[in-house]
Amino acid sequence: MTEYLNWGLPIIGYFFLAGTGAGAATVSASVLLRGGGGGFGGQHFRLARYGAMIAPLPVMIGSALLILELGSFEAGSYFKFLYLFSTINLSPMSVGSWLLMAFIAVSLAYAYTFLDNDASPNDRMAGRRRALAWITVPFGIAVAIYTGVLLGAMPARPFWNSPIIAMLFMISSLSTGVAAILLARALLHAEAPASEAKNIQFGGYLLTASDLMLIGFEAAIVFLFVMFGYLTVGDVGYAVDVIMPGGSLAALFWVGFVLIGLLLPALVELRYVLPKLLYHKDFSPSRSTEMLVSTVVLLGGFMLRYVVVIAGQITGPVGI
Amino acid sequence: MNGSQLDLTRRDIVKSLGAGAVAVAAALPSSAGAATAAKSPRYGMVIDTRRCSGCHACSVACKSEFNVPLGLTRSWVEYIEKGDFPNVSVSFLPRLCNQCRHAACADVCPTGATYKRQDGIVAIDPDICIGCKYCLQACPYDARFINPVTGAADKCDFCLHRIEKGIEPSCVNTCPGRARIFGDLNDPGSEISKVISRNPVTVLRKGMGTEPFVFYIAADHADEHDRKRGWNMRVTTHRRQKERR
Repeated sequence: MTEYLNWGLPIIGYFFLAGTGAGAATVSASVLLRGGGGGFGGQHFRLARYGAMIAPLPVMIGSALLILELGSFEAGSYFKFLYLFSTINLSPMSVGSWLLMAFIAVSLAYAYTFLDNDASPNDRMAGRRRALAWITVPFGIAVAIYTGVLLGAMPARPFWNSPIIAMLFMISSLSTGVAAILLARALLHAEAPASEAKNIQFGGYLLTASDLMLIGFEAAIVFLFVMFGYLTVGDVGYAVDVIMPGGSLAALFWVGFVLIGLLLPALVELRYVLPKLLYHKDFSPSRSTEMLVSTVVLLGGFMLRYVVVIAGQITGPVGI
Repeated sequence: MNGSQLDLTRRDIVKSLGAGAVAVAAALPSSAGAATAAKSPRYGMVIDTRRCSGCHACSVACKSEFNVPLGLTRSWVEYIEKGDFPNVSVSFLPRLCNQCRHAACADVCPTGATYKRQDGIVAIDPDICIGCKYCLQACPYDARFINPVTGAADKCDFCLHRIEKGIEPSCVNTCPGRARIFGDLNDPGSEISKVISRNPVTVLRKGMGTEPFVFYIAADHADEHDRKRGWNMRVTTHRRQKERR
């Protein structure tokens, strides 16, 4: 089975890392523009800072992984990939490479505006930071969504050949981006002074509630994908069979992604978000709970990429 | 499909109508011939599976023509066995790049290394191919592979270097059963155009919408999935991956 796989772990890792980085950047820039110093009082500035600092690294590591699996790299032409930038055409990979390069540049510049240890909503970088945030949002969304478009472009791969894969990848990217910020925050934030405790708590609530909503959307998209795959016949029907009960990827998909990556974090998040939402109680998950939830969401994001990339390659058109 | 009608665009029809109006007296067949003879060639291949004995001469000729690395194939033959004794049959399905009109591989190539030529051949420039394998995924016929020597995508190109010199492709040249017919589909006088006009031909995986220019006569389109309907059947190849993809 492995012989069929033209795209293996490096590509899967890239899809996951680039999605997470792009998601984190998009979420960070949105938070900044909405309430992190972009004119709304700046109480979530620290959240925006975590996201901005996280974003570029996974995207750059992912892009490096991408190069490792090129046939030209394997044959010893280490810099041949630069031909990607000698032209631009309507291939999703060509558009994606340019987008990726632009995103890396923008996200690095955006992170740079936060680099100062004393960065604050109204420092001398504020104007530049705000401008870059406006650019980061569309580029982040574009990088998060293009990988799904890339997979969906081929009739010869019925599992991928649906517009919903791109949507699924984008929502999952935002969700893993939020999880990455939550994880960084849980790992790094120091014991807050009492004056700031309320703010930090609200930031956690904001992120967790957004993640919960994104997971809800993701579950809806997964439901649509699986349902249409089940109801149709022919190439798509056979392809989706691999994630249906009895299929070779069913366990990874249903247990690894749906159960551990979606349901488990959603339930834990509900447990903490609902009391606050309905009864205005304190939002008080422990640091380890936040770490667990965000780790599991990240794991789910990886599982999704893994199952989708493998499933598309072990299935194909039926009949000759 | 009628060979002489291939690739007739609206402009061609308008043009030939105009020519007809000018020379009303001209005999219709000759004016049609003149209109098509001026067109650039459109290469295609017909494989008459009734004449194929599965001898692999084409596979070997192709391998040696291009020095294709071990385990990889530009051209291969599938063996289709079906039935239960004594009602059994074996047939052969020679495979190669289908030189599709809507070439999915060329559409997804990010560097333009894979491109569609005027004469219909889908060619690869290995000097600018980065080996991203996108085209390997996009091809519904699994005709492509990464050549480990060049690091570039590779596949059948109808022996471009030979036909540019007016010689037929290596597999056609070598086929002892003369199962393969290569030629210009825009020339109504060519052997391939005549064969296509006079025989029912099919293409592989028509539903993919790629509109291949490799046609088959009497191909067995049975697939391993047909086993689900209760037939005993098996498809094998001599490729590294024994199953059909």
